[in-house]
Amino acid sequence: MPGIIDVSQLVKTYGDGTKAVKGITFSVNEGEFFGFLGPNGAGKSTTIKILTTLLQKTSGFASVAGLNVDSDAAKIRKIIGVQNQDTVVDEDLTGRENLVLQGQLQQMHGPAIKERVDDLLKIVDLVDAADKRAGFYSGGMKKRLDLATTLVHNPKILFLDEPTTGLDPQSRAAIWAYLKRLNEQGITIFITTQYLEEVDRLCRRLAIVDLGEIVAQGTPGDLKQEIGADSISLGFENSSLNGGDVRTKARQVLEKKFDGVSNIVDSDIGLTVYAKNGSYMVPELVRAFDEAQIRLSTIGVSSPTLDDVFLKHTGKRIRVEEVSSANMRGMFGRRRR
Amino acid sequence: MSFFSDATHLFVRSMKKLVRNPILVFFSLFQPIIFLLLFTQLFSGLGRFLGAGILSYTAFATAGIVLQNAFSSAFQSGTAVVDDIKSGFLSKMLATPVNRSAILFGRLLSDVFRVVVQTVIILVLAYALGVYPATGAIGYLLVIFTVAFFGLAWSGISLALGLKTKSAETVFGIAGAVTFPLLFMSTALVTADFMPPWMQDVSTYNPVSIAVNAIRNPITGCNVAQRVCNIGFDWNTILQAYGVIAAIGLVTLGATLYLFRKVVS
Ligand SMILES: Nc1ncnc2c1ncn2[C@@H]1O[C@H](COP(=O)(O)OP(=O)(O)OP(=O)(O)O)[C@@H](O)[C@H]1O
Ligand SMILES: [Mg+2]
Repeated sequence: MPGIIDVSQLVKTYGDGTKAVKGITFSVNEGEFFGFLGPNGAGKSTTIKILTTLLQKTSGFASVAGLNVDSDAAKIRKIIGVQNQDTVVDEDLTGRENLVLQGQLQQMHGPAIKERVDDLLKIVDLVDAADKRAGFYSGGMKKRLDLATTLVHNPKILFLDEPTTGLDPQSRAAIWAYLKRLNEQGITIFITTQYLEEVDRLCRRLAIVDLGEIVAQGTPGDLKQEIGADSISLGFENSSLNGGDVRTKARQVLEKKFDGVSNIVDSDIGLTVYAKNGSYMVPELVRAFDEAQIRLSTIGVSSPTLDDVFLKHTGKRIRVEEVSSANMRGMFGRRRR
Repeated sequence: MSFFSDATHLFVRSMKKLVRNPILVFFSLFQPIIFLLLFTQLFSGLGRFLGAGILSYTAFATAGIVLQNAFSSAFQSGTAVVDDIKSGFLSKMLATPVNRSAILFGRLLSDVFRVVVQTVIILVLAYALGVYPATGAIGYLLVIFTVAFFGLAWSGISLALGLKTKSAETVFGIAGAVTFPLLFMSTALVTADFMPPWMQDVSTYNPVSIAVNAIRNPITGCNVAQRVCNIGFDWNTILQAYGVIAAIGLVTLGATLYLFRKVVS
């Protein structure tokens, strides 16, 4: 069965020679909540622009709802909603006027537009600000308005390029909750985002792109299982031990005594250790550190997260801004190709 | 057909933007009004040379000021397009089924409308200063039509520049660099007799001079170059100007259309 989005061997080389997309193949099923992840410059926005008919592909094949992006662009535009990575609202128009104009450009008519706009204003919680100019909106309000404009014509497929980036946690949660509801109503959602917990919770499937190529795809569960290791986070009471760095000492202990450890990374509070069946290792670990006079303040075991999946496939943490520089060194050091 | 409704919606959008940024209109009207109030006083002595008491300098210069206004206002249309490209609004529109040509047409329509409104304001002000239309209301309608036509042709240059360079600064820079030489080497504000011979030659072929004649004749009822007045409509002059404006428009709007197609495809 063909997917609602079908992409095969898609290539985009920009005029200046930048190879942004290097032959990617994937497919999204109707009704799916599909995450498209990757580090900065991976080619996510480029792919979205091609799928939304805003950019010509260089080669390969891409179709949306069975319609070819080159020859059926006009038909595709009627059934998709597109949210750009940069928030785009007309700041001189009010929230309501932005929505009405979008409805008009989508070839809707008077009463239908009005009704739909009233509904949407309620949904994105902008009723009170509806008749204020969007220029006076906060960043979060603009983002919500922008999202609402993509929905005016009841699209079958939504393309969202980082719809919640830069929002406070409440607004983010509200938008994700709304996206979930839309998806439950049958709308296919194709989304790029930096928020992996939400991807984990909501996306049925995802693809990870890096440097224009797909490096992994599957369900969040499968991808996490592939990692095959739990992460054990260790916090130390003191940063030094007998004049030496406690992290170095701890590494020596781990490397000497524990075969199951697949990787060790510095963290803010101490170390993060990747190992199979991490929870079984904890008692021995505590004993070994005790013998070496390393005092632990915390110890925690967690099963792999999408962060770990992302790190494994791209060599990068997705939210670089939330990681300390000491940590980054450790992470980039891990990068293997 | 979606062309007309789309163009109308986008025209309305531009109008709302304009009304909500009155400072823009104020700035582009500021210069013509200063010219109308002060320049005409400064050069009022020129009136003596224009035809002994028949034609005041204010009446003479009104046509030039109307044209100058069309000139500078039309030159701003490219910056609005650059804004829409930069902000992503054009992309947002292009992801909808909106009629592609309607985007451009709505833009041109609002530019022309703006020039017309500003022209009316200047003509009203000139009327208050004693410039009465020699050819009556019909003459003023013709003036407005000519200005709209000129504005349309001229905004094509600005649009093409905006689409090509995608930089508002470049459009403004080139506009500034082109406006004044063309204006001052024309018969917009002085008659040819006041120019050195080489400039007279430039002025003769300067499209601004040619266009201004078609505006000046209905306002003054004169053909200033031939120093005759009370002649009513001077269709030769007017039609010659329309020919030149049409030729300019064909080139500039052709280029705009070509560049716009490239941007939207
Ligand atoms: N118009 C363009 N011309 C030339 N190169 C471009 C253009 N747009 C993007 N690129 C390049 O193509 C590559 C992919 O860019 P793209 O915007 O698709 O990445 P992305 O995955 O969306 O990144 P981000 O997470 O930063 O949004 C980058 O190297 C970028 O510099
Ligand atoms: Mg992007």
